[in-house]
Amino acid sequence: MIRTCSQSVLKFSARSTPRLFLRAQSSNALTSSQIPFTFSKAGPLAVKYTSQHEWIAAHQDGTAFVGITKYAADALGDATYVELPDIDTELEAGDSLGSLESVKSASEIYSPLAGTVVEVNESLNDSPQLINEDPMGEAWIAKLRLSNLEDLKNEELMSLEKYEESLKEDH
Amino acid sequence: MLKLSRHRNLAHVLAQCAPVQYRSLGSQTPFDLEPEAQDDKYADLNTMYSQMFTEGGKSAKRAASQPSNNSFDIDALNAEIAEAYNFAPRPISGDFFEQIVKSPGRFIIQSLSTNPYYNLALEEYVFRNTPAPKGKLFSNERLLFYVNDKCVVIGKNQTPWKELFLDNCETKGYKYVRRRSGGGAVVHDLGNVNYSYLTSRDNFQREYFNKQIVHWLTDLRPEAEIHLNHRGDIHLNDFKVSGSAFKIAMGKSYHHGTMLINSDLSSFKGLLKPDNVEHISWSGGSVESVRSNVSNMKEAGFSSTDEFINICTDGFRRTMQEEVPVYLVDETTTTTDQLSKNTKDLASGEWLYESGPSFSVTIAHHSISVVKGVIKESTIPGCTGQHFKDFVNLLRQNQILGVNVKI
Repeated sequence: MIRTCSQSVLKFSARSTPRLFLRAQSSNALTSSQIPFTFSKAGPLAVKYTSQHEWIAAHQDGTAFVGITKYAADALGDATYVELPDIDTELEAGDSLGSLESVKSASEIYSPLAGTVVEVNESLNDSPQLINEDPMGEAWIAKLRLSNLEDLKNEELMSLEKYEESLKEDH
Repeated sequence: MLKLSRHRNLAHVLAQCAPVQYRSLGSQTPFDLEPEAQDDKYADLNTMYSQMFTEGGKSAKRAASQPSNNSFDIDALNAEIAEAYNFAPRPISGDFFEQIVKSPGRFIIQSLSTNPYYNLALEEYVFRNTPAPKGKLFSNERLLFYVNDKCVVIGKNQTPWKELFLDNCETKGYKYVRRRSGGGAVVHDLGNVNYSYLTSRDNFQREYFNKQIVHWLTDLRPEAEIHLNHRGDIHLNDFKVSGSAFKIAMGKSYHHGTMLINSDLSSFKGLLKPDNVEHISWSGGSVESVRSNVSNMKEAGFSSTDEFINICTDGFRRTMQEEVPVYLVDETTTTTDQLSKNTKDLASGEWLYESGPSFSVTIAHHSISVVKGVIKESTIPGCTGQHFKDFVNLLRQNQILGVNVKI
């Protein structure tokens, strides 16, 4: 999923979609009516994506919400169980944050950035199907206190545009 | 370096070394196995190889005469010979195992161990350590085969007391195992063979490998009614013969499945719990098992777990269009620190009883809620803080006053 720069620039200029248009069209955009978006008045500072199909929505005060993308939820099928992390767990970027079971497959979910788990989405315990209904909003998995907002510049993380491009390349 | 005639002698020596296993591919024997084919001229060389490939040679003699020859060299040579002649001589060492797993490329591993904890640990090790380079075409597919001695296996998000009659399992000698993948409860014995297909996350397709298996099996026995049901499970004449579960992590995925060949199905009764047990009801996020009527593949003329492994090995090689090497592993020869740790973790009380989903259970008119295997709340006085496993044992011995129901 990490491409060489020249390739990515070429493809980008040739196939790039206007930002706002993409945001409105993409099913992998954050749901604007749910807490991961509405947590701060101005909305999230940044929404980033990983090659393992997680999203992270970070707010100005260092709080971030993590979930899995619509693309991943669709690919995995009906969710039957979500394993949530313990509160106060300290995570490095790439550490396991929990797992999702859907149609007999257990998929690991990784933390896109370093931080501490401050809250988990308890409603997923009784309603794992939320993962399929609104993975980009209501089915956020964990709320983190990020170790450092600067980490958002991590080059491994993708913008929505880049994430969508990476999906086209793979499939 | 070695001439053909030497190969002949080497092959003969190897054929006499136990345990030598011939792989399925033996459509032609590339060497003469007759004793007359021996040539005394090469007796020294033969003796050397005998020593290298037998226990006696491994211990004292080798250390004395060939100090530089470590087990790694032997394994490399073994593997080379196995590849050249399509038969695998001996289990590979831990060092060699680690090296092939961490290197790119396809291979097949067959475990000679029947310890379910070791076999699952092996699978986990291969899964974690197979390279998955980002942004490149994935060509590091791995295929594992293992047969477990009597055991009952549940998915990682299930609750053992809800799924299994643990006391029956113990009495009848079935070990309790909790795997790292999802899905429901299954029973294994020596008549059941497990396959595990590893590929990238991007290439993950739930039904892909089972479709391949059905294809390979029906190629051989077109008259057999083998097909996939709506859940992607392999059925024979409307009876389930195989169950599947999946794991996705670190950009990789595996699909592992069971295949009943000649299992003692009548002994499986009374091990897995039915959907409903009187006076007991469970709630919590754990995953349900789907009860199915099962059958053995021997009904369609497949006779042994080895036959199934051979069919899949051949099929896999055809699909990959590559002479994918087969390596044998076992618990005494193929060990690494990490593998031993994985084995220990999978057999630990912590993994088996204390790290599954939280749940609540109602027993008669009492309710109990359990988090990480420990009772957090209960209407039965004095049991909060107790391990649920211990509570179940006390219940079994009628030592909990006023509760006459067993779990």
